[in-house]
Amino acid sequence: MTDYSTPLFYIVAAVVLIPAVLMVTFRNLIYSAAAMILCFIGVAMVFVTLNAELLAISQVLIYVGAISILIMFAIMLTRQRSGEIRLFFHRQAWLALPAALALAVTMAVVLSRASFSTTPGPRNPGTSDLSNLLFDQYAFPFELVSLVLLVAIVGAILLARRERRR
Amino acid sequence: MKAAVLLIPLLPLLSFAFTGLLGRRYLKERSHYVSVAAVGISWLLSMYVLVEVERGQTLSWQLYSWIAVGRFSVDIGFLVDQLTAVMLLVVSTVGFMVHVYSIGYMHGDKGYYRFFAYINLFMFSMFMLVLANNFLLLYVFWEAVGLCSYLLIAFWFPKRSAANAGMKAFLVNRVGDFGFSLGIMLIFITLGTLSYSGVFASASTLSGGMATAICLLLFTGAVGKSAQFPLHVWLPDAMEGPTPVSSLIHAATMVNAGVYMVARSNPLFAQSHTAMMVVAIIGTFTAIFAATIAMVQNDIKKVLAYSTISQLGYMFLALGVGAWTAAIFHLLAHGFFKGLLFLCSGSVIHALGGEQDMRKMGGLKRKTKITYWTFVIGALALSGFPGLSGFFSKDAVLTGAFAEGYWYFWIVALITVLLTAFYSFRLIFMTFHGEPRTDPKVFAHAHESPRVMTVPLILLAIPTVIGGLMLGIPPENGHIDRLLHHIFEAAIPAGEHVFGPLTLSLMIISALVGIAGILLAWHLYERCPWLPNAACKRAGRLYTLLLNKYYIDEIYAAVIINPLRGFCGWLWRFVDAGVIDGAVNGAGWLAMGAGRLLRPIQSGKVQGYLFSMFLGLLALMVAYLLFNI
Amino acid sequence: MTPLQHYLALSVALFAIGAWGVMARRSIIVVVMSLELMLNAANIALVAFSNYSPGTPGRGEVFVFFVLAVAAAEVAIGLAIGIAMYRLRERLDVDELDELKG
Repeated sequence: MTDYSTPLFYIVAAVVLIPAVLMVTFRNLIYSAAAMILCFIGVAMVFVTLNAELLAISQVLIYVGAISILIMFAIMLTRQRSGEIRLFFHRQAWLALPAALALAVTMAVVLSRASFSTTPGPRNPGTSDLSNLLFDQYAFPFELVSLVLLVAIVGAILLARRERRR
Repeated sequence: MKAAVLLIPLLPLLSFAFTGLLGRRYLKERSHYVSVAAVGISWLLSMYVLVEVERGQTLSWQLYSWIAVGRFSVDIGFLVDQLTAVMLLVVSTVGFMVHVYSIGYMHGDKGYYRFFAYINLFMFSMFMLVLANNFLLLYVFWEAVGLCSYLLIAFWFPKRSAANAGMKAFLVNRVGDFGFSLGIMLIFITLGTLSYSGVFASASTLSGGMATAICLLLFTGAVGKSAQFPLHVWLPDAMEGPTPVSSLIHAATMVNAGVYMVARSNPLFAQSHTAMMVVAIIGTFTAIFAATIAMVQNDIKKVLAYSTISQLGYMFLALGVGAWTAAIFHLLAHGFFKGLLFLCSGSVIHALGGEQDMRKMGGLKRKTKITYWTFVIGALALSGFPGLSGFFSKDAVLTGAFAEGYWYFWIVALITVLLTAFYSFRLIFMTFHGEPRTDPKVFAHAHESPRVMTVPLILLAIPTVIGGLMLGIPPENGHIDRLLHHIFEAAIPAGEHVFGPLTLSLMIISALVGIAGILLAWHLYERCPWLPNAACKRAGRLYTLLLNKYYIDEIYAAVIINPLRGFCGWLWRFVDAGVIDGAVNGAGWLAMGAGRLLRPIQSGKVQGYLFSMFLGLLALMVAYLLFNI
Repeated sequence: MTPLQHYLALSVALFAIGAWGVMARRSIIVVVMSLELMLNAANIALVAFSNYSPGTPGRGEVFVFFVLAVAAAEVAIGLAIGIAMYRLRERLDVDELDELKG
């Protein structure tokens, strides 16, 4: 049986990276958001290739579903007045690309120097094992995260609320 | 006893706070009520303490642990023994009299409340000085009385000469105090303690050289505070202060602090014959040196000031030859009669509306009866007239010097007796006898001082008359000797001196010399008033030398002050303006330049910060790669 | 099977693109989106390590769950700040956020 995993990986990586680059370069915010959604789907596919099905579904639910919608709403709520959008890139953008490239190269070099002990064969557990891990060993951090979310909701409401008082 | 000892200094302190805080706004002309009452009660309590001590009760009381750092510990505590009681007697009595007197003397002054506040503060400090039970506390209040002295000398500070005199007193005292503080540090380094009891108990363990060093340093402080040569220059100038201040601080109490301190440290001084000799030599020299100056001065208060210096010299002579009791006896007697003399001179100045030059006085005898007679009593005591307190105390000093074998000191001191009697009565004849040389208008207004001023004169004249008889008979073994014997046990040379033919003949000699001085003054200034001027002309050079106080101030100005001023000018122009200002300005420039360079970094723009953050991350990783951290 | 290094390279590339976006774009919304890209890059690395390393299986995945939750919170707050800023300044320019200085 031929192993198609590596060519498949390249396709998936392209689905991740090309929309990512587009997202950064599109001038229209709606296009950017659309590119981002595509990128997130690509990431979910990466998770599938890594035997993390539950995570892939969560990624689609949270990122593609919730966060993207949130961003869409933000874009619509803050639609610029006509002729308002003049500058898309920051003054320091010409420095940003080489800086990002340098970052990528150094990170790559650092990672290539490191030696990881890898094991052949998939190691990511199935959904039921993962659930046991999450609700047993990591129950306390899980509850803590729920608290963080609650605080974030309250904070977001407080920040975005229209000021009533004069 | 404890309560009394605590209240003695506390009452003047409270009164100082009360008068000082409320005086300007509320008390004004009533400022003296509380302060005089407070000092009066302190006086009563001092008398009580004296009686208790007479009955053999002493007190050593650790009130409060002030500083305790490792081996170093200083307590605020009281030591009340016979010496303290005698000091309390002088300080409280003269202090109380001066307070009462000041009600009249300072009446109508703009700084009335201020005067009483300061003088209360002084009383507090002086009480604490004599009550202290360790050297550091002594030093603290030593400085405190110096501060009060400064404040009161410069009391009329709008007058430039008064402000300068205050500054001079302070600065000259600093020279002495510096030595004193070094001495105290040396005591701590060698003996590890500063309490009197601890230091004196282990005094005998000191090596000879160390004992000499400590004693000489302590004595430096005494030289400054008690105005001995060569640090005497501040005391005559201190006469710029109000006369009650001159009487209390610069004659009867504060200047005695040096004598008290040396007497208190007698177990230390007993360890060093060299130091004792230095004390005696300085004392003797100062005695005759100041007496010669006093002979020709024309300012009534200056004469008394030099007289004070001279008499303090006597006390140091006594201390130096080991006649400890005689020194304290003379301190006691001198405190009373010199306080009296100053108050009398104040009364004279008051009568003449502020005139201090004796050449413009004369004939005041008729106008101011009480002042005249009390002045004469004081002057007789100062001259050592038989029967008065000064006679017994001075005689104790002279006999002490002679009996210990220092006949050369004795001769100098005897000459000084002659000079003392002469200038005292020159003062009296010039002021009270002869024809008035005052402006007739002023003389017509001359009047006796109010009762509030004359009563203290009379009250102070009483101990001047009977003090010697009460304490000094028989000489060498009088009441005061028995009282203080215990204090000086460690330091008194072997062999008790008993009153005998030798002592008697010495007494007669000194009495005759004193009377000779009085007669000389009478001859020169009463019988042949033209003689002094002729004599002055004949002795032109010498007279000018004396009149200018041996040019000591001028010598100091030339040798110390002007070079110092030049050096300071150089410091100012070169070091301060050049180096220090340059460095400071340079630092300013550096900061400004750096700020200009770095300002864009803190633009406040979040994205700029983010960018720097990524650059930092990059740098960290590159560093990791390069150095393999 | 695809080697671990491939996934790491993907992660690095996605992270760099996200960083570029954070640094280069003016709109605060795009900046927030770029931040999400960087978080996703980290998630890929975590899941990859979880799948290849000999340690306790699934631990990296659990980590990613937490990152997801925190990312959601972060987006909510970030966008709320953006909206508040828009109300205040009528613009979405990140340079408007220049109060962070002495």
